[in-house]
Amino acid sequence: MSLEISGLRVAVEEKEILRGIDLVVEPGKVHALMGPNGSGKSTLAFSMSGHPNYHVLAGSVKLDGEELIGLPPDKRAKAGLFLSFQYPAAIPGVSVANFIRTARMAVNPDDLPPAKFRKMIFEQLDVLDMDPAFLSRYVNDGFSGGEKKRLEMLQLAMLCPKYAVLDETDSGLDVDALQSVGRSVNALRATEAGAKTAFLIITHYPRILAYIPADVVHIMMDGRIVKTGGPELANQIEREGYDKIRDEVASSVA
Amino acid sequence: MRSRAALPSITAPPTSHAPLPFAPTAETLEAAIAYIGQAGAASGSAVTAAERRGAFAAYGSLPVPGGFPGRSWRYNYAKLPFEDLRWSSGRQSVATIPFGALSASADPDADAPALATENAGGLVHFGATLLEPPGPTAADKRVIVTSLAAARRDHAALLAPVIDTIVQPGDDRFAALATAFQNCGAFVYVPDGVVVDAPIQLLFVNGEADAAAVFPHIVLVLGAGARATVLERHAGGGDAFICGVVEAHVGPGAQLDVVTVQRADVEARVFMRRGARCERDATMRWHLAELGGALARSVVTTTLADTGARGEAAALFFTGATQHVELTVHTEHAVGQTTSNTVVRSAATDHGQGRFFGNIAIRKQSHGSDASLRDDVLLLSKAAHIDSIPALEIAANDVKAFHGATVGSVDEEQLFYARSRGIGRADALRMIALGFFEPVISRFPGERLRDEIRTALDDKIDAATEID
Repeated sequence: MSLEISGLRVAVEEKEILRGIDLVVEPGKVHALMGPNGSGKSTLAFSMSGHPNYHVLAGSVKLDGEELIGLPPDKRAKAGLFLSFQYPAAIPGVSVANFIRTARMAVNPDDLPPAKFRKMIFEQLDVLDMDPAFLSRYVNDGFSGGEKKRLEMLQLAMLCPKYAVLDETDSGLDVDALQSVGRSVNALRATEAGAKTAFLIITHYPRILAYIPADVVHIMMDGRIVKTGGPELANQIEREGYDKIRDEVASSVA
Repeated sequence: MRSRAALPSITAPPTSHAPLPFAPTAETLEAAIAYIGQAGAASGSAVTAAERRGAFAAYGSLPVPGGFPGRSWRYNYAKLPFEDLRWSSGRQSVATIPFGALSASADPDADAPALATENAGGLVHFGATLLEPPGPTAADKRVIVTSLAAARRDHAALLAPVIDTIVQPGDDRFAALATAFQNCGAFVYVPDGVVVDAPIQLLFVNGEADAAAVFPHIVLVLGAGARATVLERHAGGGDAFICGVVEAHVGPGAQLDVVTVQRADVEARVFMRRGARCERDATMRWHLAELGGALARSVVTTTLADTGARGEAAALFFTGATQHVELTVHTEHAVGQTTSNTVVRSAATDHGQGRFFGNIAIRKQSHGSDASLRDDVLLLSKAAHIDSIPALEIAANDVKAFHGATVGSVDEEQLFYARSRGIGRADALRMIALGFFEPVISRFPGERLRDEIRTALDDKIDAATEID
């Protein structure tokens, strides 16, 4: 049981962005994927989810043994993958409640009668400091940056995936919103089902890791994972920036 | 997936006189005039023989509107087929007004026909036959809801100042045809200061087997400060040809909502011209859902005749299969300090076609007018096509006028976002397409009515062979 990425090479518009990614995430673990802008972090997230603009040249992404490459995005979600978008799309005319209900039914058709769904979503709204009026608003339509990220976290909690990829969830958030996000993820992890959820947290800055501590930290540069370590690696980035690691990597190759 | 809307089957009530084969010819006109002469007060006629002949002459001389040039004869206004149509005019006694005959509910399991219980009275026509109950047709005794023929006899003083002044037989070829062959209609009068909460329903239903030629003329008059909602519905109809006129006079400070839900059968052709005149501080709100018919041509004109008048139009259409819809929304700012707001959403799939003309005219002296026109088009298949043709004619200087339009297909990022949540492609497209119409649907009064429209759109998506 794991999310296993091996030898993944991905191109966008003919340009190879991911140049061989190997990564294994086990249930219940939190992995941070850090790296400078343009290193390919978001490309990895979109490729895993099956965005049509990202062309897999080689490699595989296996979710508990099931190959995701070649599957449409909805089948990947049904297999247990969730992506929290950095820039989620607005869907005018579709209410948050309707959207989440439809998504929940799609990934888990056999459970949660309406009353329980309602109870659960209200609890989650509370965790995220969100007004219930939020549910009748249209998905991401006119939302502030913080509201969009909170909606991503609300969906994460309601869908309770096996593997969650959080793409730059901390970017553009103030401290209060960041705390809400941290609370929401930790509340999910405290549940029986959520305790098995594994996280791949894609971030530029280590600050989100103060709220959601990582078990493993990977550093990505130029489409490759160049270094993997424990939580201390994030602190090193905080102190020294990415240049030092870049130099290290360059000298080890040389 | 919901089941398709099923209208209860109704058989045509007997008419006292045998229906005439219909074609827009002088012979048919004379036969219709003779028919009315024989039927006398039993007919639904509200037009004199001389008026009919005059209108028919206008029909012959007025130009044929553009239609959909180069398309099938079915959509070419010059070559409309009239085979097998039947013209009649009469009334039939019924125990109660059968609003449920035209259930608003698309859910066959619904325990009561939606809207059947929420109304302030109204009329039901089957083809051109008025289904006439023994009791009152308006819940409020001060309010008049009656056939146009009865109004011409009994309420001439109220009707005469309005009829044929807002929409005139010479306005276009189809208005002329509607007058020449008028065979049914309604008159609604809400006196000064009277507020009617529930909708007054004017239902036009047709059997599937009867290819009726239906020419309704509806006149709505609201006195000063009056408020009302009129729900005009068309459903069923087989191969029916419906060609009619709606005129609304909104008195000073009055507010009128006219809701039109056109769900005629897929072979029906529907031509309606609607007009409103708003007096000082009056508000006219049109809500149009053009959902049915093989071919529908819908013209809505609002004249803001005095200061403080406000005209709103929220309209949607969705063409599937080989449907064609042509919608015109025209707002005339005849004086200054008037406001208008038009919002139109249209979509097409399969070989559906459409055209929207949005016109705003602000006259030279109409300073301080505020007009906005917004229309958005969603194309859901390769062969679907909708033209959006806005026209702003602004002769005054000190005005606010906004126009915005978009034409596009479903946004790939929206689709990916929904699918990344586990929602399958077809369901995601359905969700996005239905959401697209929400800004217009949300302006319709009443949640049941809004739900009916959502369900009707959902059914059309189900029926589509290509949604992309």
